[in-house]
Amino acid sequence: MKVKAKLKNGVIKVKSMAKHGMVTYNQAKKKTGNSEDANFITHITGSINGKTVIDMSTSQFLSKNPIFKFKLKGDEFKKGDKLKMSWVDRKGKTGKGSGKIK
Amino acid sequence: MDRRHFLSFTLGSLALAAIPADVKAKDFRKLKPSVWTAHTVDDAIKNLYGSTKLIEKGVKLKTPDVAANGGAIPVDFSTKIAAKTVSVFQDANPESAVIVYDVNPYDMTDYSIKIKMGKPGTITVVVEGKDGKLYAAKKSLDVAKGGCEG
Repeated sequence: MKVKAKLKNGVIKVKSMAKHGMVTYNQAKKKTGNSEDANFITHITGSINGKTVIDMSTSQFLSKNPIFKFKLKGDEFKKGDKLKMSWVDRKGKTGKGSGKIK
Repeated sequence: MDRRHFLSFTLGSLALAAIPADVKAKDFRKLKPSVWTAHTVDDAIKNLYGSTKLIEKGVKLKTPDVAANGGAIPVDFSTKIAAKTVSVFQDANPESAVIVYDVNPYDMTDYSIKIKMGKPGTITVVVEGKDGKLYAAKKSLDVAKGGCEG
């Protein structure tokens, strides 16, 4: 997972991308004949210094290799702190990534 | 961690933090599984919030009027309302729910995502305010090339 975070005027702007096929039930059925082969990211969380700063429950209708942009209150954090993000998909596979706040 | 430790840990962190932050992540797929299988936006919203009474104000929603590629439609949304959760639904795909954010004290509720839509439809963003009311914004858009078939 790619994570970019920039702190400016007390606001952290985050841009993050997860590499994932985000295969819907329909796509899976077309490809393998079994809609249960669908696989997509179901939950993503991010934390800075052990504090949860973003929490998303997701469905198959996010784009392939989904991009997430969001803004965080930056008062408690400083440049150089790490934003750690991780996801889990329908099949239980996990992925993670982190980026230093610039 | 046993219960006693957990309790003292919880109390300790409560005392430390002026605003007690809920550090535990919430997976709404596990908490509310029926939201994700609902076929209509109304059903999904009802399954998530127990009501479909939406106040259409206080939520900003931006999408293109015509999406060239239904596989990656940019959706930008934000609110200044003190929110508990923010959720996104659409009515163009077999199921309706797209994403649910559990809002924490650091979250400024200003988001941008890319979504798939198989055909033209309407996107609904719902903000569950801390006042218990549901605020919403809706936007209909055309989709030139569907995103769920490719």
